[in-house]
Amino acid sequence: MQARSSRKLSLSYAIIVAILVAFAIVCIMPFWYVMVSSFSDPQLIKEGLFKLLPTGWSLEAYRVVFRDVRFFNGLRITVLRTVIGTALALSVQTMMAYALSKKIPGRRIFMKLVVVTILFNGGIIPTYLVVQSLYLVDTFFALILPMVFNPWNVVLLVSFFAAQPQSVSESAKLDGAGEFTIFLKLSVPLAVPAIATILLFIAVRHWNELMDGVIYINSSNLKPMQVYLIELVMRSTTNTMIEPTEQSLTAISIQTAVIFASCLPILAVYPFLQRFFVKGIMVGAVKG
Amino acid sequence: MLSAPGIPAWKRRLRLILNNRALYLMIFLGFAFMIVFRYLPMGGLIIAFKKYSFRKGIFGSDWVGLKQFEFIFTQNPDFYNVVRNTLVINLLKLLFYFPAPIILALMINELRSVRLKRVIQTSVYLPHFVSWVVFGTIVIQFLSPTSGVVNQIIKAFGGEPIFFMQDSKYFWGIVVVSEIWKSAGWGTIMYLSALTSIDQEQYQAAKIDGANGLQMTLHISIPGISDTIVVLLLLQIGQLMDVGFEQIYVLARPIVYDVGDVLSTYIYRVGVGQAQFSMTAAIGLFQSFVGLTLVVLANAACKKLFDKNLW
Repeated sequence: MQARSSRKLSLSYAIIVAILVAFAIVCIMPFWYVMVSSFSDPQLIKEGLFKLLPTGWSLEAYRVVFRDVRFFNGLRITVLRTVIGTALALSVQTMMAYALSKKIPGRRIFMKLVVVTILFNGGIIPTYLVVQSLYLVDTFFALILPMVFNPWNVVLLVSFFAAQPQSVSESAKLDGAGEFTIFLKLSVPLAVPAIATILLFIAVRHWNELMDGVIYINSSNLKPMQVYLIELVMRSTTNTMIEPTEQSLTAISIQTAVIFASCLPILAVYPFLQRFFVKGIMVGAVKG
Repeated sequence: MLSAPGIPAWKRRLRLILNNRALYLMIFLGFAFMIVFRYLPMGGLIIAFKKYSFRKGIFGSDWVGLKQFEFIFTQNPDFYNVVRNTLVINLLKLLFYFPAPIILALMINELRSVRLKRVIQTSVYLPHFVSWVVFGTIVIQFLSPTSGVVNQIIKAFGGEPIFFMQDSKYFWGIVVVSEIWKSAGWGTIMYLSALTSIDQEQYQAAKIDGANGLQMTLHISIPGISDTIVVLLLLQIGQLMDVGFEQIYVLARPIVYDVGDVLSTYIYRVGVGQAQFSMTAAIGLFQSFVGLTLVVLANAACKKLFDKNLW
């Protein structure tokens, strides 16, 4: 009886493991597929099922992509917006959240104003018109400034700072340290897991953002990489619709090469950051 | 210091504000960005009641009352189609996508090997970190009638290749399945954190009483995360009028717009693309208004069920 029930348990356990492993493979598969396809011989991709290893090793697709000025332009804009945009947004949000975690007059009103922007927004068109009236349309700043403030991040950081013990900062204040010194020297180092999590969120958002590039940017030398990629895809899918020629099969190689090149930075840092942000968001979630 | 007698309350308050001026300075920048990029657009919604002219600007344009709303409700057949698509896609996501992270989290929680757990989590979070352009392009390639994996399998079983992206009847399914594929793994994170805060002694006690895994899941794990489930469900209901722009923009070809065009893509295409700012701002206002109503209703429901506010 005892043995039977434990065997039954282990059978259900095996099913759970099997389902989870299958789903994990399904989640990894696109990345493996992109890597393999981008390094495969463009002419061979059409033959047979998707291969687990590159068929007919070839760097042809990368050669074509790296010759394209628009790719490097997109990469440059995306790197710039990610670095500058993340630095600006992170410092503004962290400072704001720190101050809002203190019991100062007006704190509740400020927090209400922040939360209202989660619940209600002007929408695409009025935001576009504001950006336009500030003469930001078709400038690099249109990709940076609208993303500086983010209510979700501020709320998460406030709850993290509010959970910090106040006694240390109180005694530092008695020793004559200014608020800003306490913020930089005491609170920020203690909040590193939360700040790193928010940093990752903002950076990934900047790296992946498509909509603002589509809406605000017209000049081709200001288009971020995601816009370059979608234009590439839209050009080639309209080709496939007309006739599935050799050329469009090569387009698949080029697309996968661009995708792999654009995901490489994320794939490279992801394993190292993963444990970090899981800890950060868990703490935030428990607190909030 | 706090209760020094004889000093009027407003003076104490003023002193408190002055003493903390460094903190207000730290709020200032974020506050300014919030006003300009979040609150000014809310004010800009008045163009829904105007005939916007670029020359006259938001505030100088002429008032036209409810004309824009009259137009979208009575003379714009696209509007109803777009609202229908938005609602159908969101309801399908609510029905099929929403339970996915819960089930996944409960299964991940069952894993006994810490290492396996970490490998699974690392894998299923990954798609969340690439853009919809990247993920959508991969989905399109998988479904390609000539070289896509799915059609290769169909052909291997002797079927005819299906033009998935060009056929309206597949679009909603593609949207829901790709959403599960990309986001369900990341969606587990809130539930997993709720699961870790369940008292482990409950499981020990249940085990001694002879409960099996399924019984423990039904009677301990699910009740333990029910608050999280309801809060996320209510937030989701509040988003019923919002379909993410990027997923649809990447996946929907013009040939499937009859089922694929949603409020955000329509507002972008007609508003920014054809410069019909006032008409699309009116649609946006309608969308925000319905969204706000749903959030308020959801919050009332939350208050009634749990005696606490959503936010």
